[in-house]
Amino acid sequence: MENLYLPQLAVIDQIVDETPDTKTFTLHFVDEKYNKSFSYKAGQFVEVSVFGKGEAPFGLCSNPLRKGNFRITVRATGTVTNAMHEAKVGDVFGVRGPLGNSFPFEEVMGYDILIVAGGIGLPPLRSLIEPIFDKRKKFGNFIILYGARTPADRVYKDALEQWASRDDVQLLQTVDRGDESWTGHVGVVTTLFEKIKVDPARTFAFTCGPPIMIRFVIQDLLAMGFADDHIISTLERYMKCGVGKCGHCAIGHKYICVDGPVFSWRQIKVLPER
Amino acid sequence: MKVGQKYTIDKQAFLAVLDSLRRDAKLIGPTSGPDGDVVFREIASVKELTFDYVNEFDPVKRFLIPHRQDLFRFELGKRPTFEPLVDTSPQILFGIRSCDVKGILHWDKFFSGAYLDNYYLEKRANTTIISVACNQPLDTCFCICCDGGPWLESGFDLQLTDFGDRYLVDVGSAKGIAILKKAKKGLQEATRQDLDLRKELMAKCDSQMVPTAYVAKAIIQITNNRVREELWDEMGFECFSCGGCTHVCPICTCYDVADYMESSTCGVRFRCWDSCQYSGFTREASGHNPREKTKERIKRRFYHKLSYAYVKLDGHHGCVGCGRCITACEAIGLLDLPAVVKRLRRQGQPEAEQMGA
Repeated sequence: MENLYLPQLAVIDQIVDETPDTKTFTLHFVDEKYNKSFSYKAGQFVEVSVFGKGEAPFGLCSNPLRKGNFRITVRATGTVTNAMHEAKVGDVFGVRGPLGNSFPFEEVMGYDILIVAGGIGLPPLRSLIEPIFDKRKKFGNFIILYGARTPADRVYKDALEQWASRDDVQLLQTVDRGDESWTGHVGVVTTLFEKIKVDPARTFAFTCGPPIMIRFVIQDLLAMGFADDHIISTLERYMKCGVGKCGHCAIGHKYICVDGPVFSWRQIKVLPER
Repeated sequence: MKVGQKYTIDKQAFLAVLDSLRRDAKLIGPTSGPDGDVVFREIASVKELTFDYVNEFDPVKRFLIPHRQDLFRFELGKRPTFEPLVDTSPQILFGIRSCDVKGILHWDKFFSGAYLDNYYLEKRANTTIISVACNQPLDTCFCICCDGGPWLESGFDLQLTDFGDRYLVDVGSAKGIAILKKAKKGLQEATRQDLDLRKELMAKCDSQMVPTAYVAKAIIQITNNRVREELWDEMGFECFSCGGCTHVCPICTCYDVADYMESSTCGVRFRCWDSCQYSGFTREASGHNPREKTKERIKRRFYHKLSYAYVKLDGHHGCVGCGRCITACEAIGLLDLPAVVKRLRRQGQPEAEQMGA
C-alpha cells in the first residue's frame, strides 16, 4: 500500500525575497521520474517538510502548464516557515502533493475573469493567472485587483510590473498605507471595485486573502449582482495531514484539505462555521 | 463452515484454541487490573484473562490507533533519508465489546476512501476481532440508542455470546472460520434453543439499559442550526476543555503530526492523539484561531456527532453508545453525549419555536 505520509525530496533551485518576511522558492524533485510525472492544477497545494521541524501546507503559485519545477511563496510565521526561510539554494525540503481540489479553469473559459487578491493571497491565484495568460484568447475581459498593507508588502513586484504593461489585462493595485514612493491608490482592496466595470452574469470572480478581506469582497460581489456560484474563494484552516484524516481543517463536514481549499460561495454559505 | 453460521463451543475448548493462536499473533484480552478495573493488554496465557467485566474505560482504539504512532524515521544530511515505520504485526483482540467493534467499523471506512491511510489499514488487516456480546450493561451504557450492541450482526471475525460453560459463536469472516476450524472438540452447530437463549439474554441486557440518548430531535436541531445560542454559551462555561470525551470516544480519531529529534541528526515523524476540544487544535501560526472560544469547540464536537451531514457521510451518527464520555466528563453529567442530547431536546430550541410547537 502506498505510504500516505512519506514525502519526496525536492531541491531548491532559486529563492526570491518578495517582502521582508516572504520568500518564493522554486523547487524540483530529486527523483527525476517523479519530477517528470509531477503535475498539478491551479489552486492545489503541497505539504512541505523541514525534517526535525515539521510540515506545513502551501498553495502552489507556479504555472501548472509549465513542467519541470514548481514554486511556493512562504511567509515566515511559525516553526516550519521560519526554518524554511533559513534554507539556501541546493538545500532540500520534503514535499507531499499535489493535494486538495483546484480552481475551475476549463469551466470558466469564455467568461470574463475578475481576480481579487490580498497580501499573500496572490500566490495561489498566480497559479490561475499565468495559465489564463497562456490561453488568453479563451477568456473574456481580465481584471486583477491586488491589495497589500504597504507597497513593500506586495509580492511578485516584477510580475506585477509586467502584468501592468500588458494591454490584455487590467491590473489595479492598492495599499492600506502608502509611502514616499507610492503614487498609486490607497485604501482596502474593495475600494477598487468602483474603478472597474464588470458584467456579473458574464464574469467569474476569484478571491484569496485574509479572511476579513474575503468576507468584505464577497459581500460587495454579491451586492454587485454576482451569483453564488460565480464567486470562487479559498478557505484556510490549520492543517496537518493534508489527506482528510487528522481532523484539524474540518469546517462542518467539509475538510479543507480534500474538499477544498477552493469553494464557491454557494458551498461556503451553507457551512455551519465560516 | 460459512460466514453467518452459528455454533456453540465448549468454553475451555475455545480458550485452548485461543491460547494456541499466541504463537502467530499478539493476543490482547481483558485482564483484572491492580485496582480491580478491567484492563485490555497483551497476555502470555489465557489464564490471565478475566471474564468478570463489562468494558474497559480506556477504549480499545489504542491497539489500532496508538496514542503515539511513529510514521517514519529520518536522518538529516545533504539528502535526508527516511525509513517508514509501519507496524503490521498481527494481533488478536479478544473479548472486546460490540460498541468498540462498531467504532472499528467506523474507522475502517474513515481511514479508507480517496486516501488510504496505510498505517491504520495495514495494522487493521493484521488484526483479528473476537468480540464478546454483553449479557449485562453498565449503568452508563446506551448502545441500544446507537445500534452499537449489545450484540452485532456483523463486523467481527468471531462473535461470542457467553452461555456459562459454552459460547455461542457467530462466524463473521474467513479469518474467523480459520480459527474455529482449529477447534478439535466441543464444537456443534447452534440449535434453535441456543438462538432463543441468546435472544433471551440480549433482551434482558436491553431491558437493563436506561436509554437516554434519543438523538433524532437533537440531530434535527443541530442540522438546521436551531439551537439557542445561550445554551452553547452555558455549555462553553461548563466545559474544562480537557479533551477526555474525545480521547475515550470510539469514534474520535483526530491526531496531531510532529517531528521529534532523537539525536542531532536522527528523528522521527509521529502522529499522536489530538482533540478538537483543545484551543490549540485550530490555532494557526499567525495566532488566528477560528475556534478560540470553548463553546465553538463544543459546537464542533456535537456537529460532528449529531449533524445530518455527518450521518449521511458515515451512515450513522457519531456515537456507539459506550457511555465512556459520561464517566470521563469533568463537568459531571452536563456535557456527555446523552446529557447534551437531552439538553438540546429540552432547552435547545428558541423559545418562540417551543411555544409554536
